[in-house]
Amino acid sequence: MKLTQRYLGATLGSLLALAVGVGSAVPAIAQSTTQALSSESVIETIKKRGVIKIGLSLFVPWSMRDLNGDLVGYEPDVGRQLAKDMGVEVEFIPTSWDGIIPALVSGNFDVIISGMSITPNRNLTVNFTEPYAFTGLAVYANKKITDGFSREDFNDPNVTFAARRGTTPAAAIVKQFPKAEVLYFDEDGAAAQEVLNGNAHATMAAQPTPNREVENYPETLYIPFETLFDPRGEGFALRKGDADALNFFNNWIGDNWRSGWLKERHNYWFAGTEWNSLVAE
Amino acid sequence: MFKTLKKLQWLDYVLLMLVIGFFAYIWWQIEGNLNYKWRWHLIPNYILRYHTVREEWFANVILQGLAATVRISIYASMLAVILGIILGVARCSANLTVRMLARTYLEVLRNIPPLVVIFIFFFFLSEQLIQALNIESWARDIARSDNNGVWQFFFGDMRRFPSLVSGIIVLALFEGAFVGEIVRAGIQSVPKGQHEGALSIGMSRYQELRFIVMPQALMRVLPPLANQFITLIKDSAIISLISVQELTYKTVEVVSSTRLIFEAWITTAAFYFVLCFGLSMLFRKLEKS
Repeated sequence: MKLTQRYLGATLGSLLALAVGVGSAVPAIAQSTTQALSSESVIETIKKRGVIKIGLSLFVPWSMRDLNGDLVGYEPDVGRQLAKDMGVEVEFIPTSWDGIIPALVSGNFDVIISGMSITPNRNLTVNFTEPYAFTGLAVYANKKITDGFSREDFNDPNVTFAARRGTTPAAAIVKQFPKAEVLYFDEDGAAAQEVLNGNAHATMAAQPTPNREVENYPETLYIPFETLFDPRGEGFALRKGDADALNFFNNWIGDNWRSGWLKERHNYWFAGTEWNSLVAE
Repeated sequence: MFKTLKKLQWLDYVLLMLVIGFFAYIWWQIEGNLNYKWRWHLIPNYILRYHTVREEWFANVILQGLAATVRISIYASMLAVILGIILGVARCSANLTVRMLARTYLEVLRNIPPLVVIFIFFFFLSEQLIQALNIESWARDIARSDNNGVWQFFFGDMRRFPSLVSGIIVLALFEGAFVGEIVRAGIQSVPKGQHEGALSIGMSRYQELRFIVMPQALMRVLPPLANQFITLIKDSAIISLISVQELTYKTVEVVSSTRLIFEAWITTAAFYFVLCFGLSMLFRKLEKS
């Protein structure tokens, strides 16, 4: 009986030792997968797999769920066309914005197509293609509490901006209005709602969101000045060290700019309102 | 129900009126200060909808999320019970090392916020496991085949299977620690005489556990285990942060697509409440009978 006890103890002990061993080997595995991913171009992986995996986070009108629960928007259009041209299936992997770059780096998907602006900071971690869309940021504000404000009046410690954490508008607010206070949220809707409720004076977003919001709440919201801040391009983001994929995506984007297809899709989702009935009746 | 109503006295009615008045005041305040266009009529669409293309009724985003939450909770709790029993037995082991290791696991998990634990488990454990086992391409092959109805029933969209699995693993590892504590308490609540009795008729330690201690212990821990199951359902909302497509995540998607902030979150809260409260009622009934 004592013997069984000791055996049990020894087995459990060695099991745990094994677990610890595996645990310490994990970083090594992680490292080797990263190496394996970069040594072979993701284009080859996609062809072999027959599926391109695209990571995205929902932003209106870049990508959203329509009434049927399907993904629609500029990005799904781009992704589907890209997959068609590559002769593979497309798989969209909705991911929360906070974790989208780590998820790309750890190999959860092949490329991020999610309205991600090309910024130096992000570029240190991932590679970007040429832009497949261009946007500028506009401020929209609560009429009642910012009545008669000039551009300079917004740069004041008494003014509160609302913004979605980790986004380019959030960074632009800090840069353009350094004295103002910023409230951070996890999601666009919450930031907009704070402005509507008058808890924040203003927020910043990529056009056409400000225009759409003002259309929806004309009695509360307005665009105080027409300046577009921080005009930027949005590119596909992919893992570093993959020149083949970068080349392929760049040429695909270039081709589709020249043919006018990207422009036409961009106008449909960003300038037009035809699609509104798809999302909410 | 009616009996309780009869027991109410005038003071109770006054209190009730006060409570109702208080909430009416809060509601009035919200309505006055909140600049929000309520669009409740859109919500049913996102639960159940007649598909305009396929021309059939289908479970839309929110209901899909609910189904995923139910699946994840069931599988994670099964795993957590297995892990918990191992941990619970280890906590009562005669071997010091085994006892210490089990204790360490528990204390580590109990003293780190669940969110942090989940991120660590996700990036360092379940992700690596899924990559090493090549679950992804296996699941995709099933998703592509025509005969995948059974798989769909048990696991939802097979293309999202890897994220489902990592959600289940992460949740089970986390909840397993607490199940382990419950099991340990159960084992220790079995009177010493039972152990001694088992020893005196020449049972081995394993036989003692299997035939004497465990049956009694497990009967005793059923109510707290049921409770833990309900806690697990609520905790499952956290794994939305690692992009597992369960109820909370799907609600975020609805909110960012439509801006139905309050309607969608209230609906989701109601779903969680009905699920958890319903289960707790069911368990109470089972306990009585």
